[in-house]
Amino acid sequence: MASSQPARKKRAAAAQLALLPMAITVLGVYIGTVLWSVRISFSSSKIFPKNDFVGFSQYERLFATERWTVSLHNIAIFGVLFILACMVLGFFLAVFLDQHVRGENVLRTIFLYPYAMSFVATGLVWQWMLNPGLGIQAAVRNLGFPEFQFDWIVNQDKVIYTLVVAAVWQASGLVMAVLLAGLRGIDESLWNAARIDGVPRWRYYLSVVLPQLGPAFGTSFVLLAVGVVKVYDVVVAMTLGGPGNASEVPAKFIMDNLFTRANVGLASAASTVMLLTVLALLVPWWYARSVQSRKLGHS
Amino acid sequence: MQFTLKQLALAATLAVSFSAQAQKANVIHWWTSGGESAAVKELADAYTKAGGTWVDEAVAGADNARAAAINRIAGGNPPTAAQFNTSKQYHDVIAEGQLNDIDAVASKEGWDKWMPKPIVDAIKVKGHYYAVPVNIHNPAWFWYSKDALKKAGVASEPKTMDEFFAALDKLKAAGLVPLALGGQSWQEWITFYSVLLYVGGPDAYLKFFKDHDAASVNSEGMRKTLTALKKLHNYVDAGSPGRNWNDATAMVISGKAGFQIMGDWAKGEFGAAKQTAGKEYGCFAGFGPKAPYMVAGDVFVFPKTTNKAAIEAQHKLATVFTSPTAQVAFNNKKGSIPVRTDVDSSKMDICAQAGVQAMKDTSRQIANPDALMTPDMVGAVQDVITKFWNGNQSVDDAVKALQGAVKG
Amino acid sequence: MSAVVERITPPVAAPVQRKAARRKSHFTPARLGLYALLVSSAAFFLLPLYVMLVTSLKPMEEIRLGQLFALPLNATFEPWVQAWSLACTGLECRGIQVGFWNSVWIVVPSTIASIFFGALNGYALSFWRVRGAGWLFGVLMFGAFVPYQVMIYPLVRTLATVNLFGTLGGIVLIHTVFGMPVMTLLFRNYYAGVPIELFKAARIDGGGFWRIFFQLMLPMSLPIIAVAVIMQVTNIWNDFLLGLVFAGRDNLPMTVQLNNVINTTTGERLYNVNMAATMLTSALPLAVYLISGRWFLRGITAGAVKG
Repeated sequence: MASSQPARKKRAAAAQLALLPMAITVLGVYIGTVLWSVRISFSSSKIFPKNDFVGFSQYERLFATERWTVSLHNIAIFGVLFILACMVLGFFLAVFLDQHVRGENVLRTIFLYPYAMSFVATGLVWQWMLNPGLGIQAAVRNLGFPEFQFDWIVNQDKVIYTLVVAAVWQASGLVMAVLLAGLRGIDESLWNAARIDGVPRWRYYLSVVLPQLGPAFGTSFVLLAVGVVKVYDVVVAMTLGGPGNASEVPAKFIMDNLFTRANVGLASAASTVMLLTVLALLVPWWYARSVQSRKLGHS
Repeated sequence: MQFTLKQLALAATLAVSFSAQAQKANVIHWWTSGGESAAVKELADAYTKAGGTWVDEAVAGADNARAAAINRIAGGNPPTAAQFNTSKQYHDVIAEGQLNDIDAVASKEGWDKWMPKPIVDAIKVKGHYYAVPVNIHNPAWFWYSKDALKKAGVASEPKTMDEFFAALDKLKAAGLVPLALGGQSWQEWITFYSVLLYVGGPDAYLKFFKDHDAASVNSEGMRKTLTALKKLHNYVDAGSPGRNWNDATAMVISGKAGFQIMGDWAKGEFGAAKQTAGKEYGCFAGFGPKAPYMVAGDVFVFPKTTNKAAIEAQHKLATVFTSPTAQVAFNNKKGSIPVRTDVDSSKMDICAQAGVQAMKDTSRQIANPDALMTPDMVGAVQDVITKFWNGNQSVDDAVKALQGAVKG
Repeated sequence: MSAVVERITPPVAAPVQRKAARRKSHFTPARLGLYALLVSSAAFFLLPLYVMLVTSLKPMEEIRLGQLFALPLNATFEPWVQAWSLACTGLECRGIQVGFWNSVWIVVPSTIASIFFGALNGYALSFWRVRGAGWLFGVLMFGAFVPYQVMIYPLVRTLATVNLFGTLGGIVLIHTVFGMPVMTLLFRNYYAGVPIELFKAARIDGGGFWRIFFQLMLPMSLPIIAVAVIMQVTNIWNDFLLGLVFAGRDNLPMTVQLNNVINTTTGERLYNVNMAATMLTSALPLAVYLISGRWFLRGITAGAVKG
């Protein structure tokens, strides 16, 4: 055992070298730019960043802006519904595709293609389809159901749900792909053993497969969460934040203030608030992970 | 000293290549649709004819183009010229000292003498000229389908706001969509300031946009405007929210809707549908022969550089852009009107000709809101208006919100 | 080391046998129900594509009528030709083909680099003890949530100082950096599901850091590499803002032309050309999805634990 001690240290040096780009990226790019943007949120920057100091006035203005508070409210509703729907739909699609179906390649591509397409065009198509005068409501009424109503997109209370529908359409394919990759890593012999024991297929999935998919679910959750925080394209393509400000989201608020309204200071303040919120949700998770990994002996 | 033919030819080639390179102009703009492309080609051709080289850097979407220009300036690789609107959008860039002035061109061409005042106010800052205007767009035109109006029994163009409302009623009764509107914040914004200008009057308009006078917001002019706006909402169809402006114009083109309030770029859509002004569709910019004519449009700014060749290119661009031939050629294709009034307007469509006539009366010229308010304040007012338009807010509450927005 | 590799070579013969055995009971009610569910899901996913296709084959007069789901009366391929080679994108009217190779030159190195670093990071984080690596990873995850628009200005200034602003190398570096959080997460979580006995066995067999990475882990990661390729190709191929700002005039990706075709402030909008252009642009990522199918194999790690 003693002779392997210097060998382990050498190997760790290789690992340190390998992680150097990541360290540089994290410290230089991410921490650096986040700190910079927090600094700018305390300035009166308009179109170019400025180095003055105006205290918390940008934050005061931020929370007095109704458009911002509406966007926070919207992102919470959107986030919960979107993540839930994508995980459930993605999981079921992955399970169905795992059943040795014919045309698996074609089906998988059908579920994934929305992810490939630019939301500028597909979002417009969704806008048309959900428009009461043009899309599904008009078509169903023409088929002979004159009382059919599906005008969520022009309704200020329901427009956020239309965004969820279009976003789930676009993203659940990716969740399916991640979960399918995870499913394909599970040993088939486990199913054979379960079948011999008389365990039904669905029970097998519930008690054997699901626990093993933990990391894949974790990956999907983070991907979806990042998508929620950054959601922008679907809003711009479908509703432009409307009607009124009903479907405003934080990323759009930040973009508009950064470029159109030449208000870099306010945009930085909004971005800082978003990051603080993410931090508040991440810290307990980090803590739980570090406790768990110390128990398992992983790093 | 005698030069051989070869030496002369070599010298000539060098001279040509030097001068061609010397006036290379990287131009960022957002004219990317078919009609806009044909228009910008006129400017590029005119510049090439004058001895320059045009390097096109088109970026669709005004916000994208401006963001690209700003980032290029920040990255130390600025374009030779960048497009902005006749507005305050680039005034911060001037304040940061990042734009070259073109006083040399302005004095040589005598801009002070003939350029319309609203434009001069937007491009002249602290006595220096920083931008060259290329056209005049008016965002506050009324467009109507002759077919739809005939079907509804509307005999003639409305000459007052009351007649306009009466026409809208007739259209509603005939089962058509009276007012085609795209429920996007910027279109509701156009509707608001058009109604403010034509109903509230130029004084209320200027008090609000130019003076940012919070007290004036509670005046009769503004209250009348807000009430009219609320009334106007009843004439818009249920599918309006989120609709693109072209889709609203399409409703007028197909005769499904009667009116649209939109800028004169709408002619591009009518033209693409092979309709002619005065035949299938009509146009008017405000009510009556003395109606105020809004001056908006596009300008080019010149990012700061000390490179002599680049400065030459910038000056050449400014001269070419405002030359009479380039102005006529460009604006004919663009659907806007020239910034010079001393040009031949006979080849323009009847709407543009009406615009040129209106511009000749300097008392009718009035600046667009973007030239009077910073983009930040414009945004704040837009938020108030879109909430008022899409909700059940009372006029009193809207007045209070507007006052908050202009206090800045 | 090689013994371990032998152990996990996929048992190719087995799936074929299983399929033959299944064919007997193919049409049970459960099976039919499964296909029904898959087909109806496919219908939901395909509906917008149908509208896009149909719109792209109609002339503008038909589109203005607003009959969204109707088949074209006068179908025409003109919009597709226009989108590829004739649509105006500024002064030029040469369609979106102009940027095709630029996009390829940007996507290929960026994808390879970001996946390589993601796999390397995930591998190092999962199996090796490096001080502070856990914290670094945590902050990297946090970095994934930062809105990249806010990061543009400082990155512009930084790249300008090292003369990489407006170059191909600059945009590849930007994409690698922005892809690192998600790629690292993908591989780290995948390797977390790999039994540590495999790794320990390889170490005992004498494998070092790099050897284990290249000869054991990477070959075993094909399914997750497939997912990573799908994600990176899609994200980088469809990226617009970063390419516009950082790539420089000579390397502008296809998405800039696509934006110039589709987007317009006050110009006329040709929806049929827009739809055709979008579908053309998405052809490459779709091709990648179809090809990556062969990597979603079962059984890569199957049998490894037993052996």
